[in-house]
Amino acid sequence: MILSLPATELRRVAYRDSGVVNFVANEGLTVVHHSAVRPSLTTIVLLLGIMSAAGCSRYTPPSFSLNTEGIDRAEKYADGTQKYSPEKMQAVVNAVVAAFGEPDDPFVFEETELDRAKIQMSAGPVSSDIEGTPHGLYRKHCSQCHGISGDGAGPSAMLLNPYPRDFRKGIFKFTSTAQGAKPTDDDLRKSILAGIPGTGMPSFGTLSPEEIDSLVEYVKYLGYRGEVETLIQSLIVDEDEELDYEFLLDEAVVPIADLWIDSQDESMIVVPEDPRPSDREASVAAGRKMFAGERGCAKCHGPTGAGDGKEKNYDMWNNLKVTRTPEDIKKLWALPLQELRPRNLRAGVYRGGRDAIDIYRRIYVGIKGTPMPASGPPPGQSAATGALPEGSKAMNSTQIWNLVDYVLSLPYEDDLKKDDAVASNNGLGGWRITARRVARLGRTESCEY
Amino acid sequence: MLLVCVTFPLIWVGGLVTTHTAGMAVPDWPSTYGYNLFLYPWQQWFFGPWDLFVEHGHRLLGAMSGLVTIGLLVSLWRCEDRRWIKWLGVVALLAVVGQGLLGGMRVVLDARQLAKIHGCVGPAFFALCVAMAMFTSRRWRHPKFIQSSSTASRIRVLACGTLVLAYVQLVLGAHLRHLPLGFDRHDFRATLLMHLFVACALVVQGFALAWRAGRWHRHTVGLYRPAVALAMLLVAQIALGCGTWITNYGWPVWFDRWDIAGSFTIETNGQLQSLTTTAHVAMGSLILATALMTVLASFRFLVRPTPATVSTQTEPAPMTLETVS
Repeated sequence: MILSLPATELRRVAYRDSGVVNFVANEGLTVVHHSAVRPSLTTIVLLLGIMSAAGCSRYTPPSFSLNTEGIDRAEKYADGTQKYSPEKMQAVVNAVVAAFGEPDDPFVFEETELDRAKIQMSAGPVSSDIEGTPHGLYRKHCSQCHGISGDGAGPSAMLLNPYPRDFRKGIFKFTSTAQGAKPTDDDLRKSILAGIPGTGMPSFGTLSPEEIDSLVEYVKYLGYRGEVETLIQSLIVDEDEELDYEFLLDEAVVPIADLWIDSQDESMIVVPEDPRPSDREASVAAGRKMFAGERGCAKCHGPTGAGDGKEKNYDMWNNLKVTRTPEDIKKLWALPLQELRPRNLRAGVYRGGRDAIDIYRRIYVGIKGTPMPASGPPPGQSAATGALPEGSKAMNSTQIWNLVDYVLSLPYEDDLKKDDAVASNNGLGGWRITARRVARLGRTESCEY
Repeated sequence: MLLVCVTFPLIWVGGLVTTHTAGMAVPDWPSTYGYNLFLYPWQQWFFGPWDLFVEHGHRLLGAMSGLVTIGLLVSLWRCEDRRWIKWLGVVALLAVVGQGLLGGMRVVLDARQLAKIHGCVGPAFFALCVAMAMFTSRRWRHPKFIQSSSTASRIRVLACGTLVLAYVQLVLGAHLRHLPLGFDRHDFRATLLMHLFVACALVVQGFALAWRAGRWHRHTVGLYRPAVALAMLLVAQIALGCGTWITNYGWPVWFDRWDIAGSFTIETNGQLQSLTTTAHVAMGSLILATALMTVLASFRFLVRPTPATVSTQTEPAPMTLETVS
């Protein structure tokens, strides 16, 4: 089905039908613009002379870029004969602009339950008003790496390892929610506030809570937008019908919005069903056994947890590139193929948080989009000891705690259980941990679990 | 010298404005939120938002720099007998006015390209101020001696090369700091690699200059001291450059096995990030000015030997001192 309506027309229809016509004007969300106070005519004439000599012009609003990888995937998943024509690509752009607006003028349907005021604070060019209220937070703090479209391919992305997150898939590595679920606002807030050690993701602890909330909402907005774009790309690849506003809302926006909204429910958050074992030494021993044997952790993390197991790992953002030619990669993706290295658990640095409950959730739901699997039972099943169905390969809560205890003991292992190390640690450069350094990192015993 | 002392903090604060993306904290120009620049309530300036404090402070310092330049021009036209210095004062005034207009239009048009040009002209003006300070100094007017040496040309070439490299490096740095929207990642990488390449070339050039100045012209303090200072500044600048990358983008992945790298978390707008990045910017201006000092010194305090003093030796010619009354 081809979307023939221009974006502006669709937007007009969308505004009217969703009952949010001129929401910016009605809700007083106008941004203080720098052009509000104009200099005198003489100054303008004088300076425009200099400007024209320098080849400079007034600010030009940016646009979101088209997801070329999504188009390729849509073509591939169709019968292979369908190709995207320029008209069809334009139709996708029109639909996404109609549903989400432009970087300087974002729009969201009420059905998404996104907060427009918060999104406005992060959208548009960087400025601030006399009260110090900032605008354009995303462009100020994030777009350099994550890109204007949230495709994780900003100007500096190519030089970072790991690459910045591509929000358009709506998948975030570190979440407290069950397998397949979206992150909660708190998950995103935590990543933004604390940053991710050992990567290019900074801590934004110096920002105010309102600014952090705004960034969280804008990241969700980019995630919604990216997912809806990909969905539309796959929906219209082999269709010739007219795409109307109802279709856009009901078939693309609402299904994606439902996924996000459902994930905010408390029942989606993983909470340990068994208490953490009080006999820590026995728990560590049980965890060590699982790590080296039945759970297969050592396959990637190495026999001693030094991150020196399987060498060739890729996350889902790179996995698609593995079978493609360099020319295809260059055409479809902004960034070249990048390998993923399993964590060196002996370093005492845990990117998703270093509290025991953080490690518990990493093992339970895995690290989304990466080869780190979910070891807990699927949503709807209890992980309490003895509650798992017969033949289930999932770990129960106590087993997960055993692994948590072992993982958290690894940085101290040379002091605590040197002789019991699974394999020889000598010669492994990755974990020259000293007791002093571990003390600096801080123990993780304070967790209530 | 007063102008130099006013302009260097101006460079720092200008760097701070970019570091905190505070360029648009005050949306109007030349007024500040409708107030005359000098009449903006100091309570609102001091106790208002940080971005406003930095941006308005930058404007005030810029205005002060302009006023001092006017004062310098007046004193030059009243007291100075060298005609070219007087006209250089006029050039300085035009430069500071132009720089102010560039800054103003950067705000009015919200043009990042202009911010970049503004960031490149600032250090050039600072270097001009340093040159003016040199021209009006006693040592310049009444040098104790001028060294006649066959190596004068080579020192001059080295010094000029260093100056050119220093400015190219500064422009590349400004390009990285003021990225246009939608700037291509390949261009960013190419610019960064160029920045690193020119940094290496600059260090080699700067050290060669310092070494040769020390070897051949140690007694020409007007040349030797700035050359050595330049080498030291370059070392500091390399350290600051590494620090700027690390505090903005983290440690490169191959350092991951180091405890400090693996556990390092970047802190946005943190003191370390802010200080390191801004110091890197300010140090660039200082290097440019010092390089210019070596160029000027090499032309002022060294002369090529007259035919009578040309040695038959090829390398290097023995130094001769010509006393200047």
